[in-house]
Amino acid sequence: MLLPMFEFHEPLSIEEALELKKKLGQNARILAGGTDLLVHLKKKLVKTDNLISLSRIKALSLITEQKDSIFIGACATMAQISRSPVIAKKFTALKSGCDNLGNHLIRNRATIGGNACNASPAGDTLPALLIYDSVALLESYGKKREIPIADFFTGPGKSCIQPDEILTGFRLPIPTDHSGAHYIQLGKRKSSEINVVNVASFLEYDPGTKKVITTRIALGSVAATPIRAARAEAALLGQAPEEASFFAAAEMARREDCRPIDDFRGTAGYRQAMVGVLTKRTLATAYERAKGA
Amino acid sequence: MKKIISLTINDQSHEIAVEPNITLADMLRYELALTGTKKGCDTGDCGACTVIMDGDVVNSCLVLAIQANGSVIETIEGLSTDEGLSPLQEAFVEKGAIQCGFCSPGIIMSAKNLLDKNPNPTEDQIREGVSGNLCRCTGYQKIFEAIESQRS
Repeated sequence: MLLPMFEFHEPLSIEEALELKKKLGQNARILAGGTDLLVHLKKKLVKTDNLISLSRIKALSLITEQKDSIFIGACATMAQISRSPVIAKKFTALKSGCDNLGNHLIRNRATIGGNACNASPAGDTLPALLIYDSVALLESYGKKREIPIADFFTGPGKSCIQPDEILTGFRLPIPTDHSGAHYIQLGKRKSSEINVVNVASFLEYDPGTKKVITTRIALGSVAATPIRAARAEAALLGQAPEEASFFAAAEMARREDCRPIDDFRGTAGYRQAMVGVLTKRTLATAYERAKGA
Repeated sequence: MKKIISLTINDQSHEIAVEPNITLADMLRYELALTGTKKGCDTGDCGACTVIMDGDVVNSCLVLAIQANGSVIETIEGLSTDEGLSPLQEAFVEKGAIQCGFCSPGIIMSAKNLLDKNPNPTEDQIREGVSGNLCRCTGYQKIFEAIESQRS
């Protein structure tokens, strides 16, 4: 398959990239890992006259620990995020997402920014980004904005990024003590698969009162975008972290929060049932981890 | 417009003028006649085009040649020496891990990279380490045994 002809731009700084994006706007696509965009270009699903590659901008592939948060550059690859000690220790659900995306070859190229901008409802890192309350950092020439991840996705393949903007990375608050998280993705096979359902859960409990004081549950592949399970979260908040309350929350996620469709990967009914199973399992493991934290 | 890139392939430096829309796989095959690197799906699903780029395995069909400017690339052609095949390649022959051979260069590059990074991988790590490489002939068990035999 031949790639169509395009002009290739390889800026060395964010400023240079923003200038290009300002000048070229909708006539340019941002190239990060290329594991989706190059395929879409080959299949003629996407057309563009210009590619702006971000891979030579070192600042965009950094993972840095700040006081209360970490910064993950948009061009950090899945393999790189998986290797990061701070991610392995404090962001286990994100590590699981990165460990499970595509296969070992794809993970060496695919980036977290690309996974977010591609905005697939089934994206492997997206439920984790949602439950860690990530903030997307967007820049355009001379302007910056921060978008809570819950407002980032606007539809399948669509996000709130404007034509002159570039996603530079994410800021994730460091989870507090007595909190834990877990991610499970369900597919037809383990490797090189698009998820049928993927769920991530986060919970924090008060060791004094033994009640859940914060919880975030995110569902993938069961709506037009990855979504937060608001009713399930409300059902669990203030409850004791135990099997009965995890089950009650999972039932809310299954019945009220998800809106799956039938497709060749699975039926809506199967997806809905699995939302219940995976919500309960991820909450139970998140709590085990919270106890150990 | 063509751009001149310089890169190291199997310990040899090259300067090549490439169009921006040429992938690394196509450059290796059609510009340098390194046809050991195969093209199966051309969309990053099969792993036949696996090469090692700056120490990590990648699908060379999903890397633009121009993105490999300044990189160090290892392909299947770099494995054998004047004395013959590398021990890993020999193991593939001996264990019957090759039938039609189309996936072999990619799988051997994945296996080499795995063993370079982790000389003593577990069973799961071996399976994970070639999980992006499809084989339609052998059913993978012989491939697994060939890699397993090369553990230190």
